[in-house]
Amino acid sequence: MRRVLEYLCAGLLALPAPAAVVHEVFSAYHHIQVRDEAGLRILSFNGSQETRMSLVNHLEGHFDYTEYFHIPIVLNPGLSNVLMVGLGGGSTQRAYAYYYPRVRVDTVEIDPEVVVIARRFFGVLESPQHRIHVADGRVFLRRNPTRYDAILMDAYQTGRYGSDAPHHLVTREFFQLAATNLTPNGVIMYNVIGTLGGWKAERVGALYRTMKTVFPQVHWFAAENSMNVVLLGVKSREPLTLPVLRQKYEEQRKRQVLMPPAMAVRVNAFRTNVPPAAARAPVLTDHYVPPTALR
Amino acid sequence: MRTFCEILLVSTGGFIIMVLEIAGVRFLTKDFGGSFYVWISQIGMVMAALAFGYFCGGWLADQFPRPGRLAPLLAGTALFIAALPVLAPPLIGLIIQRHPLDRDIPMLWQKVDPALGSAVLFLLPCFVLAMLSPFTIRLAARALDRVGSASGRIYAASTVGSIAGVFVTGYALLDWLSLPAVFLLAGGLTLGLAGLCWYMNRFYAPRS
Repeated sequence: MRRVLEYLCAGLLALPAPAAVVHEVFSAYHHIQVRDEAGLRILSFNGSQETRMSLVNHLEGHFDYTEYFHIPIVLNPGLSNVLMVGLGGGSTQRAYAYYYPRVRVDTVEIDPEVVVIARRFFGVLESPQHRIHVADGRVFLRRNPTRYDAILMDAYQTGRYGSDAPHHLVTREFFQLAATNLTPNGVIMYNVIGTLGGWKAERVGALYRTMKTVFPQVHWFAAENSMNVVLLGVKSREPLTLPVLRQKYEEQRKRQVLMPPAMAVRVNAFRTNVPPAAARAPVLTDHYVPPTALR
Repeated sequence: MRTFCEILLVSTGGFIIMVLEIAGVRFLTKDFGGSFYVWISQIGMVMAALAFGYFCGGWLADQFPRPGRLAPLLAGTALFIAALPVLAPPLIGLIIQRHPLDRDIPMLWQKVDPALGSAVLFLLPCFVLAMLSPFTIRLAARALDRVGSASGRIYAASTVGSIAGVFVTGYALLDWLSLPAVFLLAGGLTLGLAGLCWYMNRFYAPRS
């Protein structure tokens, strides 16, 4: 009898720990849920995961695509001003505050509820070095005279059929605005939810083509543990290639610039060819953004 | 023929109102952002235009019970709609450039500014188009004991036109056309309504 009970207990312990909902709220934009599951704190909008963070070490557990947002540091370790559009659980902001505390970061987030949650449940801190603005990204950019060394785009609306970038943040006019808000050697990084050749490839292609109408160079990084492609728009005409990027990374490693441990892998994911879907994708403008271009 | 023209008039009016509402949200987003309040203000302002238009349209119908009177009004509205992409930047500029640049826009104005934008661009055309329904009810009511069915028919036709406007804009127009082309189309249809009103004059005897 005792043995049976022991087996039963062991069996119960082997079951995955039940997910605990820590916080739940309906905002103007989403049904937002924060839950703890298998050592991770997860932020979800309408059921889709936006941020993952290890409960043991807040710098771990995130989606790997957020580490591509450190590429601007590899390109220019002296950068001082960064704008990030879209807060979520603040993986990038937490990492920037830890690795590059001297870099000034502005975050624009449209949903005030998300700001409250990032502060309370994801350890995102506000300081003179990290300011959070509750505003629309494009409205903020248009009104802000600050020139940024890097603009990081990760603003998404999640609905029943997945996550869509807001249509006014994917147009040629938006990228022109972003380019005027960048320093001469500035870069923009755009997280696109989609893949290169399959799922939502036309979205990646359309964004690539649209960015290419404004930036002389557009390159990309494909994420490994999620369906994301991060596009890199470079304002400078000096050609950026994998050897150049590797060399810049090596220089900084030698100077012992603190960076996420996997940065060497991230640097090697750099690609310069044209995504195959770009050829048949439309250039998106304020006047013409077919709803299907983002689906 | 007379009933057909009445139905065509109000259903096309309803269609254009919803084309303006749906395409208008896309149009306003580049200035006011993707905020929830852009949709709220567009829906609210179009409803306000409808209320005001029904009220004035009914009054106007009693004063001048002939559709030809609406033709110049609709023609002017048609020009306004077609010119929206040109008129919008200076008008919207007045609304958004009044906030100091070095400060975030207060939440209250983040909510109210899109409503002002909707009002400036879409209140007037939707107001004029909304006048068509009560005006046409006055024309269609030939006998007092048939006013119920006449007004029901007009409301139904106008709403069916609106439903078509929502789906055609969302499913097809925004996929196929640019926003200036959508506004040009809506303006062209409104101009067509002006012609229709002028044509319809022959069905209604001038007041003696």
